[in-house]
Amino acid sequence: MKVIRIILQVMLLYVFYYIGVFVVEMTHLPLPASIIGLVLLFICLYFKWIKVDYVKDGANFLIGFMTLFFIPPIIGIIDYPELLSVSGSLLVASVIISTLFVLFTTSLICQWIEKKELAMKEKKELAMEKEGERDVDRTSECIHH
Amino acid sequence: MWIVRASVSIISTVCVFLLMRKLYSKYPTPLLMPILTSTIIIIAGLLLLNIPFDVYMEGGRYLQHLLGPGVGALAYPLYNQWQMVLKYKYTILSGIVIAMVSGIISVYTLLVVFKIDKEYILTALPKSMTTPVAMNVSETIGGIPPLTAVLVLIAGFTGALLGPLMYSLGRIHSPISRGVAMGSASHGVGTAKLVDYGELDLSVGSLSMGLSAVVGAILCPIFVYIFM
Repeated sequence: MKVIRIILQVMLLYVFYYIGVFVVEMTHLPLPASIIGLVLLFICLYFKWIKVDYVKDGANFLIGFMTLFFIPPIIGIIDYPELLSVSGSLLVASVIISTLFVLFTTSLICQWIEKKELAMKEKKELAMEKEGERDVDRTSECIHH
Repeated sequence: MWIVRASVSIISTVCVFLLMRKLYSKYPTPLLMPILTSTIIIIAGLLLLNIPFDVYMEGGRYLQHLLGPGVGALAYPLYNQWQMVLKYKYTILSGIVIAMVSGIISVYTLLVVFKIDKEYILTALPKSMTTPVAMNVSETIGGIPPLTAVLVLIAGFTGALLGPLMYSLGRIHSPISRGVAMGSASHGVGTAKLVDYGELDLSVGSLSMGLSAVVGAILCPIFVYIFM
């Protein structure tokens, strides 16, 4: 039973993908069709046009096997032996250095922004509490009068 | 005849993958990640048996085709974690934009300094996005998708192996920051490493991976259009 459910749900996910393909062909947007499918599915889930249960098992199945699906395109590397050349090594080195740079700067800046965001939220909450107290004062004043 | 060849390549790829996944669950070290070991085994098999890539892809493309709905399926975890995104929305969103911009600019600068050909620069630009999206973007901007996939994998391994070092260098203690940085610099392979840190790291990581793919898929073509 679960197998049939997964197959049907994967077919539903395919519908979103092909809507994405259609949108890309019509509009010539420089975006992958799969990303358009993702955004459309998210919108449908968010506004409850589609029940989560209708895609849950299919989505978990596809996400669980995602790495399998990108093995074939990676195998295509056998047609690119130049990766072992000098410029190929420079390409690989650039990717490694850039990735380390991004990890370091992003986590550092992110931690700083997070502190600001939390402080702002606390300030807001404090202000709201004060407002609440004032309301209480006002009501008690009303009662006294 | 092609249907036999196609079935053989599909079945053998799935079997190798399942076996390697079993091996990885027994010995979970980054060097035994199924995607790496399966790729090496299949490439070795193709080279030994003298099978051209095109023949392998007669079946392989059906597996690859599932990436389309697979990426779309990432909408499901995104929907599940939407409340958390809203709570830290400025941190997560600004972190992702910083990561994508600094990633594109840093790799572009390095490659220009190294005097690498334009085609290879276009191939390397999407390196921090999750593989299916990166390959799609690579194709859109004129790169070489399979080569992009390998560079993506290298970016992932860099994060999984050296990410913890970067965290201790920057004194990063926040799960949100660790997740955002890893998810948007090292996509799936790096995000898998976040299991060691905790559930919040992991969910923010997978979320950032999805969101940075969307942001990157938009920023990358724009960058190419303006600067190249």
